[in-house]
Amino acid sequence: MKLVVRRFHDGMASPRYDGFELEPRPGMTVLEALFWCQETFDDSLAFHYSCRGAVCGTCAMLINKVPRLACRSQLLPLLKGQLEVSIAPYPAIGETVPWNPQEAVLVEPLPHLPVIRDLIVDMRPFFSFYRYVEPVFRPQNANPEEERLMDPAAVRTLELYTNCILCAACHGACPVSGQNPHYLGPAALAKLYRFHIDPREDGRGVAILRRADVQDGWWGCEMYGNCTIVCPKGVPPRTAIAKAVSALRHTQEKSDRRQNNANE
Amino acid sequence: MKAESAAIHHHDVVIIGGGLTGLRAALRIADADLNAAVVSKVHPLRSHSVAAQGGMNASLGNVETADGTVDSWKAHAYDTVKGSDYLADQDAVERMCRAAPTAVIELEHMGMVWSRLPNGKIAQRPFGGAGFPRTCYAADRTGHNALHTLYEQVTDRRIPVYDEFFVMSLVTTSGRCAGCTAFELMTGQVHGFFAKAVLLATGGFGRIFKKSTNALINTGDGQALALRAGARLKDMEFVQFHPTTLYGSNILITEAARGEGGMLLNRNGERFMKRYAPQLVDLAPRDVVARATEQEIAEGRGYDGGYVHLDLRHLGADRINERLPGIRQIAVDFAGVDPVRDPVPVQPGQHYSMGGVDVDCNGASSLPGLYAAGECACVSVHGANRLGGNSLLETVVFGRLVAEQIIRDAPKIPPCDDGPVRAAVLSASSKIDGILRRDGGERFSELRDRLTRTMSKAFGLFRSDREMSEGLAEIGRVQDRVSHISLQNKERALNQALIRLLELKNMLSLGEAVARGALARKESRGSHMRVDHPGRDDRTFLKHTLVGCEGDTMRVSYAPVRLGLFEPEERVY
Repeated sequence: MKLVVRRFHDGMASPRYDGFELEPRPGMTVLEALFWCQETFDDSLAFHYSCRGAVCGTCAMLINKVPRLACRSQLLPLLKGQLEVSIAPYPAIGETVPWNPQEAVLVEPLPHLPVIRDLIVDMRPFFSFYRYVEPVFRPQNANPEEERLMDPAAVRTLELYTNCILCAACHGACPVSGQNPHYLGPAALAKLYRFHIDPREDGRGVAILRRADVQDGWWGCEMYGNCTIVCPKGVPPRTAIAKAVSALRHTQEKSDRRQNNANE
Repeated sequence: MKAESAAIHHHDVVIIGGGLTGLRAALRIADADLNAAVVSKVHPLRSHSVAAQGGMNASLGNVETADGTVDSWKAHAYDTVKGSDYLADQDAVERMCRAAPTAVIELEHMGMVWSRLPNGKIAQRPFGGAGFPRTCYAADRTGHNALHTLYEQVTDRRIPVYDEFFVMSLVTTSGRCAGCTAFELMTGQVHGFFAKAVLLATGGFGRIFKKSTNALINTGDGQALALRAGARLKDMEFVQFHPTTLYGSNILITEAARGEGGMLLNRNGERFMKRYAPQLVDLAPRDVVARATEQEIAEGRGYDGGYVHLDLRHLGADRINERLPGIRQIAVDFAGVDPVRDPVPVQPGQHYSMGGVDVDCNGASSLPGLYAAGECACVSVHGANRLGGNSLLETVVFGRLVAEQIIRDAPKIPPCDDGPVRAAVLSASSKIDGILRRDGGERFSELRDRLTRTMSKAFGLFRSDREMSEGLAEIGRVQDRVSHISLQNKERALNQALIRLLELKNMLSLGEAVARGALARKESRGSHMRVDHPGRDDRTFLKHTLVGCEGDTMRVSYAPVRLGLFEPEERVY
């Protein structure tokens, strides 16, 4: 088989695609294949890595035109077509190079973020959206003596969102993020929603959602749902956004009604 | 690179490493209005802390026990000391166990989501070697939840983080550590960091072994930096092998899987741990279970390829989905096995480094100005064998304690000029030039593989003088060759091959330190099992091993263990 990798760095007029021949052994992942290419053929091949166990969120890239973690994507199932994922089309996953999915695995950098070198993208815009939503709990007491109680059912719902590993696969899969570089994107919005539904953030419910109550925030989402499909951790940003939008609309309607009543 | 372009940064405290320890310390230091910066070779969220699964021990006593007894810091300390095979320093253990409930509650107030009991309190589960259900958890993603929570706090306080900066050297002047140099991966520039205190929080060195649960980044850079700067390493021969790592990739399958009721079975379907640890069975400490598992495999009662089964099926899909969802996903993704329907193939693999930079109870090393905490340090709270759930605890407890020591020490540091930092930047930079100039030499991967194979073969679960002596000689041969490695990539910016070569040099130093400590310790204690010296020898070896560098030579010496709470006794489970 061939691993076809998009190569680019400063000074190149345009990207090129390198094909690396290799014998995939059972269980071999795209990440392992990249290491093998780096150590065998070309030590300048650049890609991010850390845990190799799908928990750290470092190695998201576009694999066979789907944003996913390289460490979690195995070559043989990819070649057999077992890992096909259907997502709404957008320009970044259009055809870039001819490739036969039965014989080759195509590896490209995560879309919608500036490419620095080969498969390494600049994550700073992604984390600037994260910082924008101010994802933090500000403890009231510096030396708390007791835990606050939480309903286990509430924890189960929260976990859906705390499971996010900030790999940016959703960002690379979101057609809106591709069009609008200012859109906060599914990861930051889902993160903000996680604070909204935390029962310990008592009384600040909708106020928290206001941080993204802007055109490039909740209202930017067009409900493609690619984010939720590609998330390697099962986080559903689309659901979070839909619920946030509905909560904001609901408060708006209530305040409109109050306004109308007052006017009458 | 020209000297004029050198970037020099001034901070009160430079924290090397952005995992749980580093971030916890950064928060405490920032809250004392000192200027702290985190320098890390990866983005903090990519640190290996994020992979911690099972939990954090604290004697909260939230779960009622059948006989009505209540957990206490002292019971926690006893289990920890016994688990350590009496090599832990008991004053340090006492501090950690007393501080544990506060540490857990503190994280909760920072926003960490813990799993909960029906009454709303933080849930706790049984873990290996523990007398009570003491391990607080967030499903099987405790490290992930904790790290993201601390990172949120660090971001909120706008603590500067230099990520993808690989620290090349510690700078010492007038007998104290005054900063460090770091290579910026993206640009290839060497930066100088000037600080009153440097805290090493770089984690473990599992990647010197062939089969390890550790992230690929765990190459022990902090310990190697400390050793080169003149500090000592302690108890490096004590390396933990986890009994249940996924066959094939050696990704961790948490001890919580057995805490929740999972059973180890050999190829005859026998629950073999009953023979090795009649009381605690599958929940004996890790050294005991790992050796038993290895022995089953060695004696032909494992499966072809060298693994046994971890059976979770009787727990049922609901319990697996609630308590062990990450494990289910890992088994499906990486071994093609769904634990709800089939047993999981597991084998022992390197997991944790009990040894590390020799520090006192407050995290201060023997080199003034240099501190260490977390897995890269050795206080020692884990002694010869760490209990599951105590490492996450150590990160946050000692991350805070070391910060408090730094806060006490920093005002006393006299100002000094940054000349030595500038000189160190030049020296680091020319070192890189030297590496990039080399051609036609050795291959990186060949030498790395030699080291990791040697470590696994000679310094694994069962050790002997003959194999270890051969192993040490082989490490020496690889060390001789490593300075001849040449890279094809000659660029400075984003040259990952260069970083990996620098890591390999660090790994080799640590391999040698492990080897020297292990050869000199002619007894079996905790994780260190000598087939040629099978018994524990308290008369000669109830002491810590210290390894220091004199020039290029490593020397072994010893320091007493601090007892006080519990007298050493036979360790039976």
